[in-house]
Amino acid sequence: MKMLTALKAEQMKHRRRMLLLLPAALILFEFLWALWSLEPRKASDLAQGYLSSFYLFPILNSLIYPIFLAVLVNRVCDMEIKGDTFKLLYTLQDKKQFYNCKYLMALKYVALSALGSWPIIWVTGRIYGFTDMLEPHMVLQLCLSTFIVSTLLLSIQQVLSLLSSNQILPLVAGLAGSFLSLFSMFFPPAAARLILWGYYGIFGFVWMDWDRSTRISTYYEQNFDWIGLLLFAVVSLIVYFVCRSIALRKEV
Amino acid sequence: MNNIITTNALTKEYDHKKVVNTLDLHVPEGSVYGFLGPNGAGKSTTLKMLLGLVKPTGGEIRVFGKKLSQENRLEILKQTGSLIEAPSYYGHLSGKENLRIICKLKNVPEKDIMRVLHLVRMEKQMDKKVKNYSLGMKQRLGIAAALLGSPRLLLLDEPTNGLDPAGIQEIRELIRDLPEHGITVLVSSHLLAEIDQMATDVGIIDKGHLIFQDSLVILHEHSRSRILFQTSDNEAAFRLLNTAGMSVKWETDSFYLDHVSDDIVMDAVGQCVNAGIGVFRVTEQQKSLEDIFLSLTGKQVSL
Repeated sequence: MKMLTALKAEQMKHRRRMLLLLPAALILFEFLWALWSLEPRKASDLAQGYLSSFYLFPILNSLIYPIFLAVLVNRVCDMEIKGDTFKLLYTLQDKKQFYNCKYLMALKYVALSALGSWPIIWVTGRIYGFTDMLEPHMVLQLCLSTFIVSTLLLSIQQVLSLLSSNQILPLVAGLAGSFLSLFSMFFPPAAARLILWGYYGIFGFVWMDWDRSTRISTYYEQNFDWIGLLLFAVVSLIVYFVCRSIALRKEV
Repeated sequence: MNNIITTNALTKEYDHKKVVNTLDLHVPEGSVYGFLGPNGAGKSTTLKMLLGLVKPTGGEIRVFGKKLSQENRLEILKQTGSLIEAPSYYGHLSGKENLRIICKLKNVPEKDIMRVLHLVRMEKQMDKKVKNYSLGMKQRLGIAAALLGSPRLLLLDEPTNGLDPAGIQEIRELIRDLPEHGITVLVSSHLLAEIDQMATDVGIIDKGHLIFQDSLVILHEHSRSRILFQTSDNEAAFRLLNTAGMSVKWETDSFYLDHVSDDIVMDAVGQCVNAGIGVFRVTEQQKSLEDIFLSLTGKQVSL
């Protein structure tokens, strides 16, 4: 069966699941957070408004994306667990194709969510009248790193969801990932790199200096770790195949 | 007659325990093959192996004359419909939407949906969400899904589970009629009476071993008749015929003669009448399938 046909069938399964609400809720949450957190208090804040946005978003993503991905994958996969459909589907389509379709379906919403950061930052800047430039390369770096880190976490969540008859386990894993990712920011750099959920923050490219005496925060751009991101993408690809192999080994 | 399914020494082990043991299955084309056995005998595992859902530990499977492998599995299964254990469904979608997904995956035109819904008498419920269906309705939907695309072979695992008596009768009739439409059916059940009412051929499995395989007619030949007597004094009649050297057997509050000729029956009735014992009823009884199973396996099973 052609992949496109399988994807159409997958799309048909998602009718009435209102999956678009998930990225919409995530984007709305990020927008409200940005409005609250990026509100300028002095003129210097306006001059580095966009820069501070790029400091905020990787941290924010570390906190909310693990939970978002757990819920998203749960919504995409739990219908097969509830309806006991594996033994039917595996007589109609290739197991790998089934797994790929599920992954691509979830990935579509991840891409939407990752791209959603761009309009949020732009709209926030317009509302508050940020005076610095919204640099396209920074938008690209943020969206791309968010997306690529999510591809790996998606694989982990998907294998957990497909193997668990009780969907609480993958949701708890997502929640735990969120906490770990938050705490990993206080770990030594080498230890923080062991926490996969924390890579949203690790790929952050805007740093902050806070002067205690003047109480002024200064944001500055660091070189983006392109090689690190490329390596992460390769690892994500390997993890994808490993997770798929584990998920498909299960007899129905 | 050609066999649509043939297995050769098909074996499946779980934790060094053989749940299916060197099974040689022969399902004739155009038959309703009843796959019979108690719960846990290995029926579902066998069906799953036939569908390639479970990898056999040993042996070979041929479907439509082709050896089943991971490479050609889906190609062969294109002409197959199946319902294994509980029905598969998407609860948040309507029955019709569920079937549309199967149509898409099977590459079958959606106009076939109304045909299969009519066959299982589900037209009125097709727009209702499946999560609100009763188990019987879900079971019918599962059968409808299996029938989409008019497969040459249908594998049904306990298809009447959860159905009400009227539903059971409908499904039985449906299964019985399928060979007329060129569909061979392999139906499993733990109920002997059920298989007796719809199958043309039977395979009996117990603890993974195939203990009988032939046509239903041959199975019935195993059921030798017995002649049950009801008289005005059963105990006296039993003693009389026993003393006369007849092979009478006592059962509950009456007695019977096992597989005897008409002359012996006439003689037995005559002796009773001559002894002044009134003969109320002489009935020929076929052995039940439960009895046949008992004689094949040598033990009682809960069927």
